[in-house]
Amino acid sequence: MAQFRAEVFQNEFLSDGTTDVHAIVSVRCTDAGVAGQTGVGDAAELVIVDTSGSMANPPDKITAVRAAAQVALEEIVDGTFFAVIAGTDTARVAYPLQPTEAPMVRMSAKTRKEAQAAVRRFQPNGGTAIGSWLQLATDVFAATPASQCHAILLTDGNNESEDPAAFEYGIETATGAFQCDCRGVGADWVVDELRRIATALLGTVDLIADPAEMEADFESMIKSAMSRGVARVDLRVWAPQGAEVLFVRQVAPTIDDLTPRRAPVSDLVGQYPTGSWGDESRDYHVAVRVPARTVGSAQLAARVQVVVADEVAAQGLVKAVWSDDEALTTRLDKAVAHYTGQAELAQVIQEGLAARSEGDEATATAKLGRAVKLATETHNDEATQKLAKLVHVDDAEKGTVRLKRDISKLDEMALDTASTKTTRVRT
Amino acid sequence: MIAPTTPVIEGACPQCATPVAADEQFCESCGAALTDSATASDPASRPGASAEPAQPAESAPGLGSTRTRLTIPAPSEPEPELAAVGVRHCASCAAVIDPDGYCTVCGAKAAAERDHFRETPSAWTGGVCDRGIRHYRNEDAMASVANSAPGSFAALVVCDGVSNSVDSDRASLNAARAARDVLSAAHATRPEESDAVAFWTEQIGLAADAAQAEARAVATDAETVNPPSCTFVTAVLDGATIVAGCVGDSRAYWLPDDGPAAQLTADDSWASEQIRAGMPRAVAEADSRAHAITRWLGIDSPDSKAACVATTATEPGWLLVCSDGLWNYCSEATELRALIHRLAQSHESPVAICAALVDFANAAGGSDNITSVLARVEGAPTPAR
Repeated sequence: MAQFRAEVFQNEFLSDGTTDVHAIVSVRCTDAGVAGQTGVGDAAELVIVDTSGSMANPPDKITAVRAAAQVALEEIVDGTFFAVIAGTDTARVAYPLQPTEAPMVRMSAKTRKEAQAAVRRFQPNGGTAIGSWLQLATDVFAATPASQCHAILLTDGNNESEDPAAFEYGIETATGAFQCDCRGVGADWVVDELRRIATALLGTVDLIADPAEMEADFESMIKSAMSRGVARVDLRVWAPQGAEVLFVRQVAPTIDDLTPRRAPVSDLVGQYPTGSWGDESRDYHVAVRVPARTVGSAQLAARVQVVVADEVAAQGLVKAVWSDDEALTTRLDKAVAHYTGQAELAQVIQEGLAARSEGDEATATAKLGRAVKLATETHNDEATQKLAKLVHVDDAEKGTVRLKRDISKLDEMALDTASTKTTRVRT
Repeated sequence: MIAPTTPVIEGACPQCATPVAADEQFCESCGAALTDSATASDPASRPGASAEPAQPAESAPGLGSTRTRLTIPAPSEPEPELAAVGVRHCASCAAVIDPDGYCTVCGAKAAAERDHFRETPSAWTGGVCDRGIRHYRNEDAMASVANSAPGSFAALVVCDGVSNSVDSDRASLNAARAARDVLSAAHATRPEESDAVAFWTEQIGLAADAAQAEARAVATDAETVNPPSCTFVTAVLDGATIVAGCVGDSRAYWLPDDGPAAQLTADDSWASEQIRAGMPRAVAEADSRAHAITRWLGIDSPDSKAACVATTATEPGWLLVCSDGLWNYCSEATELRALIHRLAQSHESPVAICAALVDFANAAGGSDNITSVLARVEGAPTPAR
C-alpha cells in the first residue's frame, strides 16, 4: 500500500499588512508498487512512434526507432494492456494486428514477440500529423478496461501535415484520458509543440540528440511508467473564505504550472490532477493571498491535501502569522527562495531563446545573462552547462554574457527542453 | 498570580522600564514577555486576536504580573484532559474547527482546549476560562455544578495556577474539580434540618482540603524551588444562602441588581495585608509586590484553610467568581456590576456574558489568564431541595 507524506517549508511570519503567503509543499510517495499490479485496476501502455518519411534521413534513425521500440516492449510488465501506434500523416495501430477485435492486448511472451516483429517491419513514408495520433490513442485507451493509461510518443519532425486546429483538438481530446511522455529525435522537431502535449498530458518532454541514445531513453521511460503503482493522485488545496489561490506550481523535479488545471471541489477547495505516482517526491509551490489580519493573529492560509481514490493520503498546513518582529518577517524561506529562482530560470531561458530566434539580441543577452546568474546561484549545473554552449560567460555572478555566433540548433533545443528541470534545495 | 517571594531586582522591562528580577519571564507591571521562551507561543497563536495591544499599566500599577521559571521543562505528564467537547466551533466565524486545529471556513487558529474552555452547568450558570493574550499557557481553571431549577443550588469554583512552576495548569484544574466534586456530593447529602451557613462553611473547608490534596499530588519533586501551586475560591448558592471561601487572591462577588455590591472574599495578598495593617491603598497597590499572594494551595502551602464568609441573597443579582485576570481590569464591585449589566444587554446567557467579560479583559490587555464564572440569582429563590 502506497504511503504519502507531505512536508511544508515556509516562513509563516508576515509583516503588518502583508497578504501573500508562499510555501513549498514537498510530497513523497513510498511503496507505490507496480503499475496495474496493486489490485485496483489494470494499466495500459501505448507506444506511439513517428514512421514518417523523414525517419529515413539519415537511415540510422528508423533503425534506432525499431530497436528502441523493441526495448520498450521488453520493459512492459506482463499482463499490462498494450498497443503500438505508427504515426505519419495519419495514425494506424501497428499492433495488435487485428485492432478491430481488441485495440489493446495483454502483454505476454507471445504478444511481445508478435509486437516486436511488427515493429521491425516499420517503413518510413508520409508526413507528420501528431493531433491524429493523439486522437487514435484516445480511442484505443477508451476501448480498453484500464484504470491507468500511459503513452510514450516519439517524433522527429514538426507537425506539418495537419492544421493547428487539428493538433489542438488532438491534445484536447487526450487531456485527462492518458498521460504522455514525449521525445523528439534530431533537430527538426519543435520543442514548443511537444511541450504543449507533455504539459497537457502530465508527462515529460526531452530531446534525443543522437539516435543511438534512443534505446536507453525508451527503456528508462517505460521502466518509470511501470513503476508508478498509484494510478491517480490529485492535489487538493483549501484556502480560507475571502482568500485567493494565486498559483499552484510543481517546482521539482520539473516546473509545471498546475494553476489552470484547477477543478473546483467546493467554494473553498480546488483540485489539481498530478497523474500517476511511483516512489518519488515532488515539490509544489503554493501561493495564497489572504486578507491581512492584525499583528498577533494566526491563521491557516492553505490546507494542501494529497488525495488518492477520494481519500486524503497526506496533508500539509500552510500558515500565516502576522508579526511586528522584523527578524521573523524578513526571513526568506530557503525552499521558497530556491524554487522561486528556479521558476524564473525556466522563464528567462525560454524568453531568451525566443528573443534570440526573433533576432532581438539585446533582450536575448539580458535574459540569458539573468539565466546564467540564476543557474549559478541555484546550483543548476545542467542549465549552467547548456547555457555555456550558447553564450560566452564573462561574469556568472553578475550575469554578464555575450551571445555566441555559431551555435548548434541541438544545443539550443537541449537548453530549451532542459529549462523546466529543476534542482532540489540544498540543505 | 505572583509567588510570595521578594524578587531580586536585576534589570528593567524593555517595554515599560519597571525593574524586573532575573528569573522573571513576564514583566510584573505591563505583562511584556522578558524571554524568548515566554513568547514562543504568545500571542501569535491566539485566535482572532481581536484585542488591542497591551497597554502599559500606568493606570493600573502592578497589573497582571506573573513570574515563571526561566526554563520550562517539558510537562512530566500529558496535558490535563478536559471534558469531551465534541465538535468545536470557530471563535471568529462560528464554523466548524477541523481536527487539524484550524477553522474550516476562515482558517482562524482555534485555541487549544486547555487554553479556552467553557462550562454551562445549567441554564442560569456558566463560566469561561481563557489563556488571555500575554501568557503562553492557561493556568487558570474552573469547575462548577448547578441544579437546573434557577437559583436553587450552585457551587462555582475557580483556581488560578501560580505560574512560576511547571505543572500549575494541572494543579489548578485537578484542584478545582476535586473541590467541585466535594461540594456536589455535599449538596446531595445535606441533612434537612442543618443550618445552611454552618453546613457550607464546613463543606467549603473540606473542598479546600480536597483541592489542596490534588495540588500537592501534582508535585513530583518535593525539593523543587517552585512546586505547582494555585489559588482557590468558591461560592456556593443554596436557596437564599451564599457562602464563599478562598485561599489566595481569586475572588467571589455578590452583585445584587440594586442593593450594595460587594466583594465577598478577602484577598490573601501582600497589598491586602498591608492595607489591613494601615498602609494607604494607593501606596500598597502601586508596590511591585502588590499581587504577591500570602496563601495558596500546593505542597509548600503555609496555610490552606479556606477563609469563609456568608451572605443572603434577598434580591435578584449576579454571583461572580473570578481570577485576577478579570478583576485586574475591573476591581470595584460596583464597577463590575455596571460592566456585567452593560454586557447583559447584548448577551443572554451567563456563559455568553462570561465570554464577553473575557473579551473585555483581553481588550484591556489580557496580561494574565482570565476566568469568570457567573450564576444568575432571581428575586424569590426556590428552596434548595
